[in-house]
Parts: sequence; structure tokens; C-alpha cells
Amino acid sequence: MTNSTLLNPQLHDIENLDFSPSAAKQSAEQISRPSLSYWQDAWIRLKKNTRALVSLYIVVGLTLFTLVGPIVWQVDPALQDLNQLSQAPSLPKQAVFIEEHTRWQGIVLQDFPAEPAEFLDVLPAPANLRTAEEATTQAVRIAWDPVVGAGGYAVYRNQHLPESINDLGLPLGTKFAGNEVSYEDRLNVEGRDYYYSIVSTDGYDESDSYITLKVTPKIAITKSEALSRGLITEISNVKNGDVISLEFHPFGTDYLGRDMLARLMEGARVSLFIGIVAPFLYVMFGIFYGGFAGYFGGNLDAILMRFADFVVALPFLLFMILFKIAFGIGPGESGILPMLIALVLLGWPATARLVRGQVLQIRTQGYIEAARLLGAKDHYLIIRHIIPNTMGVILVTLTFAVPAAIFTEAFLSFIGMGVAPPTPSWGSMCNEGVKTMLSHPHELFFPALFISTTVLAFNLLGDGLTEALDSRMRSRE
Amino acid sequence: MLVKTENLKKHFQIGRGQNLHAVDGLSIEIAENEILGLVGESGSGKSTFGKTLIGLHPTTSGKAYYKGEELPQKFTAADHLKYSRELQMIFQDPYSSLNPRMTVLDIVGEGISIQGQHTPHQVKELVAEWLTKVGLNADHMSRYPHEFSGGQRQRIGIARAMIIEPRFVVCDEPISALDVSVQAQVINLLDELKNSMGLTMLFIAHDLSMVRYVSDRMAVMYLGTLVEMGPSDRVFFEPQHPYTKLLIESNPEPDPRLERARGFVPIQGEITSPVNVGAGCRFADRCPRVSEQCLRETPPITQIASDHVVSCHLFN
Amino acid sequence: MTDSILEVTDLSVEFATYGGRVKAVRGVSFDVKAGETLAIVGESGCGKSVTVQSLMGIIPMPPGEITGGAAKLNGKDILGLTPKQANEFRGVKIGMIFQDPMTSLNPTMTIGDQIAETLMVHRGMGKQDAFNRAVELLDKTKISEAAKRAKQYPFEFSGGMLQRAMIAQSLACNPSLLIADEPTTALDVTIQAQILELMSELQRTENMSIILITHDLAVVARMADRVAVMYAGQIVESGTVDEIFYASAHPYTLGLRAAMPSNKTTREKKLTPILGSPPDLFHPPAGCGYFARCPYAMGSCETLLPPECLLSTDSEHQSRCWLQHPDAPEVQALFQPGRHQEEDPDAG
Repeated sequence: MTNSTLLNPQLHDIENLDFSPSAAKQSAEQISRPSLSYWQDAWIRLKKNTRALVSLYIVVGLTLFTLVGPIVWQVDPALQDLNQLSQAPSLPKQAVFIEEHTRWQGIVLQDFPAEPAEFLDVLPAPANLRTAEEATTQAVRIAWDPVVGAGGYAVYRNQHLPESINDLGLPLGTKFAGNEVSYEDRLNVEGRDYYYSIVSTDGYDESDSYITLKVTPKIAITKSEALSRGLITEISNVKNGDVISLEFHPFGTDYLGRDMLARLMEGARVSLFIGIVAPFLYVMFGIFYGGFAGYFGGNLDAILMRFADFVVALPFLLFMILFKIAFGIGPGESGILPMLIALVLLGWPATARLVRGQVLQIRTQGYIEAARLLGAKDHYLIIRHIIPNTMGVILVTLTFAVPAAIFTEAFLSFIGMGVAPPTPSWGSMCNEGVKTMLSHPHELFFPALFISTTVLAFNLLGDGLTEALDSRMRSRE
Repeated sequence: MLVKTENLKKHFQIGRGQNLHAVDGLSIEIAENEILGLVGESGSGKSTFGKTLIGLHPTTSGKAYYKGEELPQKFTAADHLKYSRELQMIFQDPYSSLNPRMTVLDIVGEGISIQGQHTPHQVKELVAEWLTKVGLNADHMSRYPHEFSGGQRQRIGIARAMIIEPRFVVCDEPISALDVSVQAQVINLLDELKNSMGLTMLFIAHDLSMVRYVSDRMAVMYLGTLVEMGPSDRVFFEPQHPYTKLLIESNPEPDPRLERARGFVPIQGEITSPVNVGAGCRFADRCPRVSEQCLRETPPITQIASDHVVSCHLFN
Repeated sequence: MTDSILEVTDLSVEFATYGGRVKAVRGVSFDVKAGETLAIVGESGCGKSVTVQSLMGIIPMPPGEITGGAAKLNGKDILGLTPKQANEFRGVKIGMIFQDPMTSLNPTMTIGDQIAETLMVHRGMGKQDAFNRAVELLDKTKISEAAKRAKQYPFEFSGGMLQRAMIAQSLACNPSLLIADEPTTALDVTIQAQILELMSELQRTENMSIILITHDLAVVARMADRVAVMYAGQIVESGTVDEIFYASAHPYTLGLRAAMPSNKTTREKKLTPILGSPPDLFHPPAGCGYFARCPYAMGSCETLLPPECLLSTDSEHQSRCWLQHPDAPEVQALFQPGRHQEEDPDAG
């Protein structure tokens, strides 16, 4: 086959071609890539999906949080720290050691009349409102200058700066003598800002003017208190003026003073227990039920599936309540068992349908017929051929069933139908947190955050798994 | 005769009162070491026939014989095991006929593993031997089906069927899903194995030219019935039945001059449904030589030569 | 010389997939003249479908990307169009029919409505007029009882009839070019004959050109005026149908023909398969794509891509092969049939 280069000018400048016959380099049947099994391939695919990978880390982290957490953070979730009720999350508070409380005499002026000499039309507010000594949570001692014409003084305390005479806050008490110009406040004093206001009275009416002082008491603790709270082991080791850290509540405390972090861990146990055990059980059941129906087909399949349809129609909440009653669990008692049973008894049809569909599809595949021709028995076909090929579907079902169960449990506990206090579960913690949502949002925020993150992570993981396993199910080319 | 069927019928119940006459009375014979080609279009029932013959579907009526012995009407797993060393099948779709979760070793060795007469080591050796025989590498046995091309998968399927050394193999459209250049690879392999193992084959396909090339005798099916059967070359070059004629004339040849010279105008009309078929010739509504008798009576099978039969009233 | 209505020059198309970039089409050039049928033939993965789909603009542009080349319909560029402009020419100047009619037609619309839709969108016809015209078109494609059939849904049609309906739809706007992508692959051989006959007839009456994509050389022999053989994303040989069949030049064409049974092959004259598989298009070979399987391969074939070479002065028959170089040896000296197998003792 020779050709003139006039015919093909593009060949003109090409020189030094090797026209010798080329020997075979490699077998045309060579496969260059390394062998990958189904799971290995799916794992590689999953790792490439960042969202799914992050979700996987979150799920693993959560598992560690639940299982290993209580070992690391050894705080009793039921222990009430009455001194730190509804604390927002913070670093551990420092407290100073002080002496035991002794009664304060107060300041009573000798050279000032107790009763006003004359009644004034306008009674001014006292001046020089000050703290008599350093304010601590043990006691706040304030003093002021006397007012001529005053027959007494009313003491108020507020948590914000008063805006008007009507906004002075909590009335702490009244002095009924013009020369008693001090007050000791021991009412639930916490280490926060307080605004004390003094109003003069003439014995009958209160004046319209007031004076305000901002006081931030230091957190103080006595040695005996510290000993009883377990913060120190021996009194002799400490002396007044030493600073000690109070109990650390990294996530704050709830309205009963219980440590949030410990409760979250305990709640995780409950939520995850139900969230994993229930789906596991009902998915297992669904696999056998659906596999059976799909494999044998015919009338058996029809009957089994009609029953499954019937179960789907049953109302879940109603059954929960029925089980609770049947198990004799009263209000306020923990309803873990009935919830678990209700979830399992009513949750399996979806899986059964899915597995059945998968089995029906697999049955039509050529390799099933081939195996039958080779003499395979039913159970061999099911175990060796059908079940391995449904594993992908099963795994994905499980991964989506878990967040659904967690959420159901949370919801039920939230409305009071599931786990009841004092047993913590994220749902019941949300229930409690809602009550103080505006003043102490952290009590609602953390359990809600945990529920949302867990459910989201499982769902994204399930998405990623579906993608990783499903595209493998599709044959290449 | 190695394989024989007598008026084999396979009907499917689809819905209420709807009877799909997939195979409607097929009587054929296949001699030892012979390849019988079975052609037909969609709805002809050829695949169903092949599967019913080796017991993947229970028969509705009629009989099938292997080596003179009647085959069970419905095969149990024990029956399949008993006949697995005699009757085997090559499947059509290379993508769904191999379990994607099993290695090639497991797939090819499955037959002999189920038989249980070999140690795992022996199984491995046999698999290696057979992989080489079908043109793959022995070290492919640790790989998974998805790593292979269509043609290679089909060869794995062939190894799976052949490793237990059957006598009779039904090839159900083994090359339809493959590219042209690969089809010849698989055909040549089947031919080679047939000769070296002394196999008898039923070769089911819709590619007429390929069937003529591969088979000794050719049978043509239409809507579940046999319309013509005879030596491949004779049926191909001198078709007698009007339907066979239509098929042959419709079949394009890779020869432009020949195609230009053909004046063939194809018959309009399509295959009717094989559901609830009545009496009379199935092809009557499309046949250019139809007569009143064709509509009333089902044509009998007439022998027009020593090894050539036709089912048509024109030959009565 | 008749004018070309479609000219494609050096078209290249790539896809971004999770495994990398696939170079599906690598520098394809061809033209289609008025009133003729060009067959593009090749096996799966050769890029024939991607080529015509990118001309029609129906490839999603991520992940697909036209990385080079140009295409002109009646002199006007059709690759760089905005979606709006593309909509105007697609379906109007170029019609297309696909392989599986069952999935190419909307199952929730009647056949008549689907065809009428094309007319309403592109020709601005009113609903009743469009429907009447749809019935006319169905009649033209030899669907019996066209008026009744137009009111039916796709599931009530058989495969062959659906393909006719699809042809009717593609003819709605009187295109000058019809692209048929494996139109009969899913059909029985008798129905195939009917559809091919219909297409030939319509070509004459409607004065259309046809690009026929197929893997079946027999269909090519029946239908084509000119042929382009594709392999691994490139056209390896093109010419008139007689040239391709009776004067095959490229080893791949020769290999294809030797692998196909025809009425001439006998049991004694065996089919010769092409061993091996097509190359990996993630990293296409630098040289000739057919190198690994070619029984005539030479040293340079591995590293240097041969250009398309004309075979003679009085035709457009060309082959992309170093055998066409004036200095190349005679093929008999090069022939190594079992070259691609390590075990072959005659290699070298």
C-alpha cells in the first residue's frame, strides 16, 4: 500500500518512522488496577465524600462520648449542686475562703433621732450609699448617710439598673428608725451584679427619690462548707483568703443544679440505646420477614405482605400509651421498655418491604438460575447469593432507621410519653429546658444541639453510604 | 437422539384468565454432537423453551427426554444436582449472570464445590485450568466480575458451565449483549469447546447469520410454535415457510452490492400477542399466502425432506 | 460536487467523571452532503453517540465539555450557541431519533400531543392544527389508523410503532438532517427491515440527509452511501460504502469484517475475532488507538498518531494509519495475527 506524498502532503515532513513489526508488549487481557472487593470499593467511595466522612467521624465521636465519656468525666448526673442552679456554661468559678458568718450589728447612729423631728414635704434620698465592707456571697453589708426627716429606710435589690421608682426590684426589708443606716443582705446572694436602692420613709410614706449602688459580691465559701461539699479534704490545709475553684460545669447546670455534661452523657446512653437497639431488632426481623416473602413468593408472599400493610396502619402513639398502661408504668416512671417494644413492633414493615423488593429483583438475576442449575438448594441460594447482595440495602436502611428512632424517642420524651425525669434523655432534657428557655437558654440549647447533630450526622452518613454502595451495585460499562 | 421433546408446552398465567402461550407444542430432536440453532423474534418463546428444557421452568404439558429418559416435569434441587453434570446453560446477560459479590474463583468453582467431591485445593486448580482454557489468566480468579469487560464475563460464565463437564449445553443468546469483535471470540471458544468436549448444543439467538454459521441444523419459531426445521444452510438459503422467508429476506447482509440488488419490500404488520391464542396458524394475519384454511386449522408438521420439516398448509 | 450541509472539523469532547477525565471524542472530522446517508459505525465506547449528541447539544455540559473543534450546519456554527439559539435549531433543522423508543417518549402524554408539541413550540401552530399535522405525520410513517393512534399513549404501541412515532416527531419541522442513533438495535429483524425501508423512503420524499449511527455492518451495507468507521474516539477510516466494504484499508475495518458472519462464511472459513479490548480513554494512547490489537502494528504506531491519509487522487477514501505512508512495508511482511497475546510463539 504505497502512496505518493503528493496525495498526502501532511506526511511530507514526518521522518524517521519505525516501520519494523512491533512485538507484543503485554497480554491484551491484562487488568492493571488492583482487585477491589465490594466493601473495599464502597469504602474508597465513601472516603471521597467529605460530608459522609465528617458524619462518620461525628458518629464515632458520639459513640466515644457515650461509652468512654462517663469514665473520663466522673460526675454523677443526679447530683445537685444547689449553689450553682441554672448556671450558664463557664469556666470554674473561683471562691475565696472566709470565716463563718457572724451576725452584724449594723450601724446605728447615736446622735441622730430615730423619729423625725418634723415631717418634710419632700424627703430626699440618702447619700453616700456604700458597702460597709467587702461584699461576698455570704453577706452584703451596705450603709448610707442618714436623712434628716427620715423615720426609716426601705431597701431594694434589683438585678439590673432601676429605671424609675417603680423599678427598684425586690424589697429586701425596711428599717423603722431614722438612725439605722445599714443593712445586711443574705438572701440568695450570688456572684453577680446587684443594684441596691435605698428609699427614705417618714414612717408612713416612702419618698420618691432613691439612691442606687451597684455591688458585685465575691464568691466566698467557708471551710466547713467546702469540706461538706467535698471540695477540700482537710480544713487545716487552707486558710482564709485562699482561693479555691468550685465545681466545674463546662456545659452549665440545669434548674436543679445537676451538671449538664454528665446528664448529656447519661441521656446519650438512653437515646442511643433505644436509637440503636430498636432499629437493630426491627431491621433483623424485617430482613427475615421480607426475605422469606420475597423468596417464596406466591400466596405466602401475598399473605405476609397484607399483614405488613396492616401493621403499617396501626397508630404508633396509641400503641405507646397502651403498652405503658399494659406494663403498669405510671406517670413519672421511666418508659424505656414500652417505647422499645412499640418501636420494634411497629417499625419492621418498611424494612420488610425493602428487603422483599430487593430479593424479588435478585431472584430474576441470571446467577440465581445458574446456581440452581448447578444443584444449589434453597438455603444455599439464600445464604450464599441473595443475602450478600441485599447487604447494601440493609446497611443503608439501618443507617436511616437509627436517627428516626432517636428522634422518635426524643419527641416522645419531650411530650412526656417516653422517658420521664429523673432519668435523663435528650428529649426529656429538652422538655425541662423549654421552661427556662428565655432566662437560661443553655438548658435547652445543648440537648437540642445534640439531638440535631446526631440525627443529621446519621442521615448524611446514610446518604453517603447509599451513594457509595449503590453505584457499585450498578455494573460498570 | 440425545435430547427430544414431544409437544412441549409452557404457559404462564399473567393476571386473571390471561394465559401467555410462551411455548405452544414444540417437538424437536437434537442428535449427539450436534448444534441445533433456534431462531425467532421477540415473543417467539425460544428463550423460554431453552429454560424449560433444562428444568428452570416447570412444563405445562408435553414431555422432554434426555438420553431416552423422561425428564421431570418440575425439577427439584436434587433433580438439578443429578442432571447438573449433563445439562447446563450459558446465559444471555453477562452483567447479571455473575454474582457481583463473589470472586471469579467462587463463581467458576461453584458447580464442583456443590458436588462436594473435590478439596478446595483441587477446586482452585481446576478453576485455574479452566480460566486458561477460556482465554483468561489464572490469577484472575481472585478478582470480582465488575473488573471484567462483557466478553470476559461471558467467558467466565462459559467456564462456570463447562467446568463440570456437561454433555448438553443450552446457549441462551450468549453473544447478543457483546460487541461484534468480541462475539467472534466467544463463538470460536464455544466451537472449540464443543469439539474438544464432544458437546451437544442448543444455540438460541436472533442473529440469523450467526446461527447459520454456528449450527448444523436450524429451527425457526414463531409465537411459541415451530414453523420450520432443517439443515442450517438449506433453511437459510432455501427457506420454505413464509415466515422463514420473511426473516431471511429481512436479514441484512454486510455486502452493499447484494443489498442494492435486493428488491425486497418488507411486509408491514407486527407480531401479535402470545396471550390467549386461538386456533389456526399463528402467522395467518401477516402471511402473504394466507388462505381460509390457515385461519381455521393449525397446520400440522409436514416432512418435506428426510431432515427438513415445515408447519404450513402450503405443504399439506 | 454536492454541497455539504454539515461540516464537522476536529471535534473533541471530554467528560469529567469520578475516575478522571474521559476523552470520549478525539479530533473527529466529517461532512454530510445533501440527500445522502452517512453511517458512523463502531463498537461500544468508540464515541459515535457522543459525537452526534454534542452536535445536537444534548450532552450536559458539566460533566461534558467540548474541548476543541467546530461544526457548521449550512455554514452556520452550531457549537457555540446559547441555549436559546440551540433550541431554535435543534429539532427544527436537525431531527434526532434514539435507540430505545420506549424511554425516549414521554409516557404520560399521548403520541399525538407529543408530536403536536414540537409543532406548537417551533412553528407556533395552534393546538388543533398541530394535532392534525401530527396525524398526517403518523400516517406518513405508515402507522395504520393514524387518527386513532394519535390519541393513544406510548405503552399502547409496540416497539416498531414507537420508533415510527419517533420518526414522525423528528420530521415535524422538516429538518434537512436526521440523526438516527442506533434506531433499530432494539428491534426484531423483520421490524428493523420495515423501519430501514421507511427511513430510505422518507429520505427520498423529504429530501433529507441522514446520519446513521450503528454497530451493525450489515445495516450499514443496506443503508449507507458513505461510511465513517470510529474506534477509540477517532475516525479511523472513511469513504463510500463500496470502498469501505470492498477496499477496506484500515486494520480495524478489516478486523470487523473478518469477525462478522455473512452468507459467505462457512464452518471451514472461521470467523476471526479481534482479541483484546479497546484502550482506556482516561489516558488515551499517544499513538494509534488500535495499536495493541492490530496485527500489522509497527514501531511508530505506538508513539505517533497517524494522520488521516487519502488513498487515491480521485476519491475521498481515507485511512488513519501509518500503513498509508509511502515508505511503509507491504502488509504481508507485517502480519502477526496473534500478536496481542504473550503466549503466541510466533510473535516478532
